[in-house]
Amino acid sequence: MSSTHNRHVRVFAVDNQLARIVTEQGGRSVADAVKAADARVEALRGASVAALTGKAEQLAMAAATSRASSEPTFDAIYEISNAIYGVASTFQLKSLAQAAFSLCDIADSFRSGETVNWPAIDVHVDGIRLLSSLGEGAGAAGEEVLTGLRRVRDRVLGTATPGIATPPSGA
Amino acid sequence: MSTLPFTKNERVNLSTAEVLLACGDAEGLNILTEMFAGFGVHTPRRCRTIAEAKSSVHERTLNLLVVDSALSDGEGYDFIRWLRRCDVAPTCYAPVILVTGHTKPTQIFRGRDSGANLVVRKPVPSLVMMQRIMWLLKDSRPFVTSPNYFGPDRRVKALGPPGGHKGRRHDDLSAEVGTASTPNLGQDEIDSLFSPKGAK
Repeated sequence: MSSTHNRHVRVFAVDNQLARIVTEQGGRSVADAVKAADARVEALRGASVAALTGKAEQLAMAAATSRASSEPTFDAIYEISNAIYGVASTFQLKSLAQAAFSLCDIADSFRSGETVNWPAIDVHVDGIRLLSSLGEGAGAAGEEVLTGLRRVRDRVLGTATPGIATPPSGA
Repeated sequence: MSTLPFTKNERVNLSTAEVLLACGDAEGLNILTEMFAGFGVHTPRRCRTIAEAKSSVHERTLNLLVVDSALSDGEGYDFIRWLRRCDVAPTCYAPVILVTGHTKPTQIFRGRDSGANLVVRKPVPSLVMMQRIMWLLKDSRPFVTSPNYFGPDRRVKALGPPGGHKGRRHDDLSAEVGTASTPNLGQDEIDSLFSPKGAK
Protein backbone atom coordinates (compact mmCIF):
# COMPACT_ATOMS: atom_id res chain seq x y z
CA MET A 1 0.00 0.00 0.00
CA SER A 2 2.83 2.32 -0.76
CA SER A 3 2.87 5.06 -3.30
CA THR A 4 5.77 6.87 -4.84
CA HIS A 5 5.18 10.39 -6.04
CA ASN A 6 8.73 10.94 -7.15
CA ARG A 7 11.94 9.05 -6.57
CA HIS A 8 12.78 11.01 -3.43
CA VAL A 9 9.46 11.00 -1.58
CA ARG A 10 7.52 7.94 -0.40
CA VAL A 11 4.13 8.05 1.31
CA PHE A 12 2.88 4.75 2.65
CA ALA A 13 0.57 3.22 5.22
CA VAL A 14 2.05 1.64 8.35
CA ASP A 15 0.51 -0.99 10.59
CA ASN A 16 -0.75 0.53 13.86
CA GLN A 17 0.64 -2.20 16.12
CA LEU A 18 -0.13 -0.22 19.26
CA ALA A 19 -3.84 -0.18 18.40
CA ARG A 20 -3.83 -3.95 17.90
CA ILE A 21 -2.14 -4.60 21.25
CA VAL A 22 -4.15 -2.15 23.31
CA THR A 23 -7.49 -3.52 22.11
CA GLU A 24 -6.62 -7.12 23.06
CA GLN A 25 -8.82 -8.85 25.64
CA GLY A 26 -8.17 -7.99 29.27
CA GLY A 27 -6.56 -4.85 30.56
CA ARG A 28 -8.47 -2.27 32.55
CA SER A 29 -10.98 0.48 31.96
CA VAL A 30 -9.47 3.78 30.85
CA ALA A 31 -10.93 5.48 33.90
CA ASP A 32 -9.29 2.93 36.23
CA ALA A 33 -5.98 3.22 34.40
CA VAL A 34 -5.94 7.01 34.79
CA LYS A 35 -6.92 6.72 38.45
CA ALA A 36 -4.17 4.18 39.13
CA ALA A 37 -1.63 6.35 37.31
CA ASP A 38 -2.63 9.42 39.33
CA ALA A 39 -2.26 7.48 42.58
CA ARG A 40 1.17 6.13 41.64
CA VAL A 41 2.46 9.56 40.58
CA GLU A 42 1.08 11.11 43.75
CA ALA A 43 3.01 8.54 45.78
CA LEU A 44 6.20 10.07 44.39
CA ARG A 45 5.36 13.53 45.70
CA GLY A 46 7.45 13.41 48.88
CA ALA A 47 10.64 12.11 47.28
CA SER A 48 10.29 14.32 44.22
CA VAL A 49 9.69 17.52 46.17
CA ALA A 50 12.61 16.68 48.45
CA ALA A 51 14.85 16.19 45.40
CA LEU A 52 14.10 19.73 44.25
CA THR A 53 16.33 21.14 47.00
CA GLY A 54 19.26 19.20 45.59
CA LYS A 55 18.48 20.38 42.08
CA ALA A 56 18.40 23.99 43.30
CA GLU A 57 21.88 23.51 44.76
CA GLN A 58 23.07 22.02 41.46
CA LEU A 59 21.65 25.08 39.76
CA ALA A 60 23.60 27.40 42.06
CA MET A 61 26.80 25.48 41.32
CA ALA A 62 26.18 25.55 37.57
CA ALA A 63 25.63 29.31 37.71
CA ALA A 64 28.80 29.85 39.75
CA THR A 65 30.84 27.68 37.39
CA SER A 66 29.52 29.46 34.34
CA ARG A 67 30.13 32.87 35.83
CA ALA A 68 33.74 31.98 36.68
CA SER A 69 34.41 30.82 33.15
CA SER A 70 36.02 33.09 30.58
CA GLU A 71 33.44 31.82 28.09
CA PRO A 72 30.26 31.34 30.10
CA THR A 73 27.63 28.94 28.76
CA PHE A 74 24.02 28.74 29.83
CA ASP A 75 23.13 25.20 28.80
CA ALA A 76 23.55 23.67 32.27
CA ILE A 77 21.56 26.48 33.91
CA TYR A 78 18.80 26.02 31.33
CA GLU A 79 18.72 22.23 31.65
CA ILE A 80 18.58 22.19 35.45
CA SER A 81 15.91 24.88 35.64
CA ASN A 82 13.95 22.99 32.98
CA ALA A 83 14.14 19.83 35.11
CA ILE A 84 13.00 21.80 38.17
CA TYR A 85 10.07 23.14 36.16
CA GLY A 86 9.07 19.63 35.09
CA VAL A 87 8.92 18.23 38.61
CA ALA A 88 7.51 21.34 40.31
CA SER A 89 4.71 21.73 37.74
CA THR A 90 3.74 18.06 38.06
CA PHE A 91 3.21 18.48 41.81
CA GLN A 92 1.48 21.89 41.51
CA LEU A 93 4.30 23.89 43.16
CA LYS A 94 3.16 26.90 41.20
CA SER A 95 5.62 29.54 42.40
CA LEU A 96 8.66 27.30 42.02
CA ALA A 97 7.52 26.06 38.61
CA GLN A 98 7.02 29.58 37.31
CA ALA A 99 10.32 30.80 38.76
CA ALA A 100 12.14 27.95 37.01
CA PHE A 101 10.28 28.67 33.79
CA SER A 102 11.30 32.32 34.04
CA LEU A 103 14.96 31.32 34.46
CA CYS A 104 14.63 29.07 31.39
CA ASP A 105 13.40 32.11 29.45
CA ILE A 106 16.34 34.29 30.37
CA ALA A 107 19.02 31.55 30.14
CA ASP A 108 17.67 30.66 26.71
CA SER A 109 17.85 34.26 25.56
CA PHE A 110 21.42 34.66 26.86
CA ARG A 111 22.59 31.54 25.08
CA SER A 112 20.90 32.84 21.94
CA GLY A 113 23.11 35.93 21.99
CA GLU A 114 21.25 38.49 24.12
CA THR A 115 23.40 40.64 26.41
CA VAL A 116 24.11 38.65 29.56
CA ASN A 117 22.74 40.04 32.80
CA TRP A 118 24.28 38.10 35.70
CA PRO A 119 22.27 39.78 38.46
CA ALA A 120 19.10 38.48 36.74
CA ILE A 121 20.50 34.94 36.86
CA ASP A 122 21.60 35.37 40.49
CA VAL A 123 18.26 36.62 41.73
CA HIS A 124 16.48 33.73 39.99
CA VAL A 125 18.86 31.16 41.44
CA ASP A 126 18.39 32.60 44.92
CA GLY A 127 14.62 32.67 44.48
CA ILE A 128 14.53 29.08 43.28
CA ARG A 129 16.68 27.93 46.21
CA LEU A 130 14.33 29.67 48.62
CA LEU A 131 11.18 28.34 46.98
CA SER A 132 12.52 24.79 46.82
CA SER A 133 13.37 24.90 50.52
CA LEU A 134 9.86 26.15 51.31
CA GLY A 135 8.40 23.33 49.20
CA GLU A 136 4.64 23.07 49.42
CA GLY A 137 4.53 25.63 52.21
CA ALA A 138 5.62 28.54 50.00
CA GLY A 139 2.16 30.16 50.03
CA ALA A 140 2.04 33.96 50.00
CA ALA A 141 5.81 34.26 50.45
CA GLY A 142 6.23 32.25 47.27
CA GLU A 143 3.92 34.56 45.39
CA GLU A 144 5.94 37.58 46.57
CA VAL A 145 9.20 36.04 45.39
CA LEU A 146 7.58 35.21 42.08
CA THR A 147 6.31 38.76 41.60
CA GLY A 148 9.85 40.06 42.03
CA LEU A 149 11.26 37.53 39.58
CA ARG A 150 8.61 38.39 37.01
CA ARG A 151 9.66 42.05 37.21
CA VAL A 152 13.31 41.09 36.68
CA ARG A 153 12.48 38.84 33.78
CA ASP A 154 10.31 41.48 32.13
CA ARG A 155 12.99 44.11 32.51
CA VAL A 156 15.67 41.85 31.03
CA LEU A 157 13.61 40.47 28.17
CA GLY A 158 10.95 43.11 27.67
CA THR A 159 7.36 42.33 28.59
CA ALA A 160 6.22 41.94 25.03
CA THR A 161 9.19 39.93 23.82
CA PRO A 162 7.86 37.85 20.95
CA GLY A 163 8.51 34.13 20.95
CA ILE A 164 8.96 33.85 24.71
CA ALA A 165 6.74 31.08 25.93
CA THR A 166 4.51 31.24 28.96
CA PRO A 167 3.99 28.25 31.21
CA PRO A 168 0.69 26.39 30.92
CA SER A 169 -1.94 27.86 33.22
CA GLY A 170 -1.83 24.83 35.52
CA ALA A 171 1.86 25.32 36.31
CA MET B 1 -8.49 17.25 21.64
CA SER B 2 -10.56 18.92 24.31
CA THR B 3 -13.21 16.19 24.48
CA LEU B 4 -12.34 12.79 25.81
CA PRO B 5 -11.51 10.43 22.96
CA PHE B 6 -12.79 7.46 24.97
CA THR B 7 -15.87 6.37 26.81
CA LYS B 8 -16.07 5.68 30.51
CA ASN B 9 -16.11 1.92 30.05
CA GLU B 10 -13.61 1.69 27.22
CA ARG B 11 -10.76 -0.66 28.04
CA VAL B 12 -7.03 -0.52 27.39
CA ASN B 13 -4.62 -3.39 27.58
CA LEU B 14 -1.06 -2.14 27.70
CA SER B 15 0.21 -5.19 29.59
CA THR B 16 1.99 -6.63 26.57
CA ALA B 17 2.98 -3.33 24.98
CA GLU B 18 6.70 -2.64 24.73
CA VAL B 19 7.09 0.96 25.85
CA LEU B 20 10.24 3.07 25.95
CA LEU B 21 10.33 5.98 28.40
CA ALA B 22 13.22 8.40 27.97
CA CYS B 23 13.94 11.40 30.19
CA GLY B 24 17.26 12.91 31.22
CA ASP B 25 16.06 13.83 34.69
CA ALA B 26 15.84 11.01 37.25
CA GLU B 27 12.70 12.35 38.94
CA GLY B 28 11.04 13.06 35.60
CA LEU B 29 11.75 9.49 34.50
CA ASN B 30 10.32 8.12 37.75
CA ILE B 31 7.13 10.14 37.21
CA LEU B 32 6.70 8.73 33.70
CA THR B 33 7.46 5.20 34.91
CA GLU B 34 4.85 5.31 37.66
CA MET B 35 2.28 6.85 35.34
CA PHE B 36 2.71 4.08 32.79
CA ALA B 37 2.74 1.43 35.53
CA GLY B 38 -0.68 2.77 36.49
CA PHE B 39 -1.73 2.41 32.86
CA GLY B 40 -0.80 -1.28 33.08
CA VAL B 41 2.58 -1.24 31.33
CA HIS B 42 4.94 -3.93 32.64
CA THR B 43 8.68 -3.25 32.75
CA PRO B 44 9.05 -0.35 30.33
CA ARG B 45 12.50 0.41 28.93
CA ARG B 46 13.78 3.30 31.04
CA CYS B 47 16.42 5.46 29.40
CA ARG B 48 18.18 8.64 30.46
CA THR B 49 20.47 8.97 27.48
CA ILE B 50 20.25 8.83 23.70
CA ALA B 51 22.78 5.99 23.78
CA GLU B 52 20.53 3.88 26.04
CA ALA B 53 17.49 4.65 23.93
CA LYS B 54 19.29 3.65 20.74
CA SER B 55 20.37 0.35 22.21
CA SER B 56 16.79 -0.37 23.35
CA VAL B 57 15.62 0.13 19.78
CA HIS B 58 18.08 -2.53 18.63
CA GLU B 59 17.23 -4.93 21.46
CA ARG B 60 13.46 -5.25 21.07
CA THR B 61 10.46 -4.23 19.03
CA LEU B 62 8.90 -1.17 20.62
CA ASN B 63 5.23 -0.23 20.29
CA LEU B 64 5.26 3.23 21.88
CA LEU B 65 8.01 5.69 22.74
CA VAL B 66 7.61 8.60 25.14
CA VAL B 67 10.62 10.88 24.84
CA ASP B 68 11.47 13.99 26.83
CA SER B 69 13.10 16.78 24.85
CA ALA B 70 15.92 16.86 27.43
CA LEU B 71 18.05 13.71 27.69
CA SER B 72 21.30 13.48 29.65
CA ASP B 73 23.56 13.32 26.61
CA GLY B 74 21.57 15.35 24.11
CA GLU B 75 18.14 16.35 22.93
CA GLY B 76 15.13 14.10 22.42
CA TYR B 77 14.66 15.61 18.96
CA ASP B 78 17.96 14.09 17.83
CA PHE B 79 16.99 10.65 19.08
CA ILE B 80 13.62 10.80 17.31
CA ARG B 81 15.27 11.93 14.08
CA TRP B 82 17.70 8.98 14.35
CA LEU B 83 14.87 6.56 15.16
CA ARG B 84 12.90 7.48 12.07
CA ARG B 85 15.92 6.86 9.83
CA CYS B 86 17.42 3.83 11.60
CA ASP B 87 15.75 1.19 9.40
CA VAL B 88 14.92 -0.98 12.42
CA ALA B 89 11.39 -1.95 11.38
CA PRO B 90 8.77 -1.87 12.71
CA THR B 91 10.12 0.21 15.64
CA CYS B 92 11.18 3.05 13.34
CA TYR B 93 7.46 3.54 12.49
CA ALA B 94 6.23 3.28 16.11
CA PRO B 95 4.29 6.21 17.58
CA VAL B 96 6.38 8.74 19.48
CA ILE B 97 5.08 11.22 22.05
CA LEU B 98 7.55 14.06 22.67
CA VAL B 99 7.30 15.67 26.11
CA THR B 100 8.64 19.20 26.53
CA GLY B 101 9.17 21.40 29.56
CA HIS B 102 10.05 25.03 28.81
CA THR B 103 8.49 25.28 25.36
CA LYS B 104 8.85 27.87 22.65
CA PRO B 105 6.86 27.61 19.42
CA THR B 106 10.07 26.74 17.59
CA GLN B 107 10.44 23.66 19.79
CA ILE B 108 6.96 22.45 18.82
CA PHE B 109 7.97 22.71 15.16
CA ARG B 110 11.28 20.99 15.89
CA GLY B 111 9.41 18.14 17.54
CA ARG B 112 7.02 17.80 14.64
CA ASP B 113 9.82 17.99 12.09
CA SER B 114 11.95 15.43 13.90
CA GLY B 115 9.18 12.87 13.33
CA ALA B 116 7.22 12.85 16.61
CA ASN B 117 3.55 11.92 16.30
CA LEU B 118 2.53 14.26 19.11
CA VAL B 119 4.13 16.94 21.27
CA VAL B 120 2.83 17.53 24.80
CA ARG B 121 4.14 20.10 27.22
CA LYS B 122 4.54 19.70 30.95
CA PRO B 123 2.84 19.37 33.27
CA VAL B 124 1.36 16.24 31.72
CA PRO B 125 -1.41 14.83 33.94
CA SER B 126 -2.21 11.13 33.55
CA LEU B 127 -5.52 11.95 31.87
CA VAL B 128 -3.80 14.04 29.21
CA MET B 129 -1.24 11.32 28.52
CA MET B 130 -4.00 8.73 28.23
CA GLN B 131 -5.94 11.00 25.88
CA ARG B 132 -2.91 11.23 23.64
CA ILE B 133 -2.42 7.46 23.67
CA MET B 134 -6.07 6.94 22.74
CA TRP B 135 -5.71 9.48 19.97
CA LEU B 136 -2.70 7.56 18.62
CA LEU B 137 -4.78 4.38 18.43
CA LYS B 138 -7.02 6.10 15.92
CA ASP B 139 -4.20 7.85 14.08
CA SER B 140 -4.22 6.59 10.51
CA ARG B 141 -1.83 9.12 9.04
CA PRO B 142 0.50 7.63 6.44
CA PHE B 143 4.25 7.64 6.89
CA VAL B 144 6.39 9.94 4.77
CA THR B 145 10.03 9.50 3.85
CA SER B 146 11.84 12.23 1.96
CA PRO B 147 15.34 13.70 1.89
CA ASN B 148 14.44 16.17 4.66
CA TYR B 149 11.78 14.37 6.65
CA PHE B 150 10.98 10.89 7.94
CA GLY B 151 7.86 10.46 10.02
CA PRO B 152 4.08 10.53 10.15
CA ASP B 153 2.40 12.84 7.66
CA ARG B 154 2.57 16.29 9.23
CA ARG B 155 -0.80 17.19 7.75
CA VAL B 156 -3.15 16.01 10.49
CA LYS B 157 -6.26 17.25 8.69
CA ALA B 158 -6.96 16.37 5.06
CA LEU B 159 -7.69 19.85 3.72
CA GLY B 160 -6.08 19.33 0.33
CA PRO B 161 -3.04 21.18 -0.97
CA PRO B 162 -2.61 24.89 -0.26
CA GLY B 163 -4.60 27.22 -2.53
CA GLY B 164 -3.02 27.78 -5.90
CA HIS B 165 -0.80 24.68 -5.61
CA LYS B 166 -1.27 21.41 -7.42
CA GLY B 167 -0.12 19.34 -4.46
CA ARG B 168 2.79 16.94 -4.18
CA ARG B 169 0.92 13.70 -3.44
CA HIS B 170 -0.60 11.38 -6.02
CA ASP B 171 -3.92 11.50 -4.14
CA ASP B 172 -4.02 15.27 -3.63
CA LEU B 173 -7.27 16.70 -4.93
CA SER B 174 -7.87 20.36 -5.60
CA ALA B 175 -10.54 22.06 -3.48
CA GLU B 176 -11.72 23.91 -6.57
CA VAL B 177 -14.56 22.32 -8.52
CA GLY B 178 -14.26 22.76 -12.25
CA THR B 179 -17.04 22.83 -14.86
CA ALA B 180 -18.65 19.52 -15.78
CA SER B 181 -16.99 17.76 -18.69
CA THR B 182 -19.78 15.18 -19.27
CA PRO B 183 -23.61 15.46 -19.35
CA ASN B 184 -25.51 15.37 -16.04
CA LEU B 185 -26.79 11.97 -14.89
CA GLY B 186 -30.49 11.34 -15.34
CA GLN B 187 -32.62 10.61 -12.23
CA ASP B 188 -32.92 6.93 -13.21
CA GLU B 189 -29.17 6.65 -13.41
CA ILE B 190 -28.80 8.31 -9.99
CA ASP B 191 -31.44 5.96 -8.50
CA SER B 192 -29.65 2.96 -9.91
CA LEU B 193 -26.50 3.94 -8.05
CA PHE B 194 -28.39 3.83 -4.73
CA SER B 195 -30.40 0.65 -5.39
CA PRO B 196 -28.82 -1.14 -8.32
CA LYS B 197 -30.97 -4.29 -7.92
CA GLY B 198 -34.21 -2.35 -8.17
CA ALA B 199 -33.16 -0.38 -11.20
CA LYS B 200 -34.45 -1.32 -14.57
